Amino acid sequence: MSTLSNKSDQEISALLDEYGIKHGPIVDSTRSLYEKKIQQAMGNKGKAKPSSDKTYYREEEEEVTYLSYRSPSMSEGYGDREQYSHSGQEYAQRNLQDENPYLRSRSEVYRSPDVVDKHYDTPLTYSTASYSNATPVKCSVPVPEEKSHRLIPLWVQFLVFLIVAVFLYFVICNMESTHSEPFKQVK
Amino acid sequence: MPTRFIVDVYVYRVTPHHHGLVNMSSTSQKHKDFVAEPMGEKKVTALAGIGDALGKRLEDKGFDKAYVVLGQFLVLKKDEELFRDWLKDTCSANSKQQGDCYGCLREWCDSFL
Repeated sequence: MSTLSNKSDQEISALLDEYGIKHGPIVDSTRSLYEKKIQQAMGNKGKAKPSSDKTYYREEEEEVTYLSYRSPSMSEGYGDREQYSHSGQEYAQRNLQDENPYLRSRSEVYRSPDVVDKHYDTPLTYSTASYSNATPVKCSVPVPEEKSHRLIPLWVQFLVFLIVAVFLYFVICNMESTHSEPFKQVK
Repeated sequence: MPTRFIVDVYVYRVTPHHHGLVNMSSTSQKHKDFVAEPMGEKKVTALAGIGDALGKRLEDKGFDKAYVVLGQFLVLKKDEELFRDWLKDTCSANSKQQGDCYGCLREWCDSFL
């Protein structure tokens, strides 16, 4: 294999795409960085074809995370639908599409084990994988985090509100009495 | 006086809670100074995370002004990972320095680019 520095910019760009490395233009200042990245990627993947291995692994990873993500959040509602999905995938897909645009891309990944057409799905899953690579980790985080959204818990807010209301009531009562007395005195 | 107490409590309740917005954690004074105005001809050491040692290494490689590093940041399409890797390769910045510099440039771009 010829050294990377002998390759043209287009070849470097093609290699980066093959390894799925997001990159900008190949310029003097960026070239050495990209060459290093390609070397790292080559070292990781070995001599075997990198792209198909990667997408397969990512498909599996996505599938696993997809299922584990679904189970805690949509347990009851989707418990029945998951059984339907095997028989009527379009129904489940449509529902998923209505529910969440984020899940829409996932539903297409979910189809792939049934549809043995990896080559067709490769660019799709690959693009969703690379795009949402960080999001499988992220998606589990906002779900529990949304619950502990407030700095001060809700019940404390209600309690404070009640105290304020009671306090206001007392103040108004006191004010009424002080106002009423002068009128009496004037008389 | 009771009314003043009520006002204090009321103001406390009305003040908006920082829900998700306190993401900026603690940005340094250097960061705040840099993102407050166009960088002009500022030296590369004006960037957050870039001190004297790193600044010297960057200058030796030809990145003598902050805008040159900005150029590199933009050529790397403002991608965090690429920029961090580049910074590490070019001037051996550690993770914190990489993060500070990236955050500083990204916020500057958000305001001025």
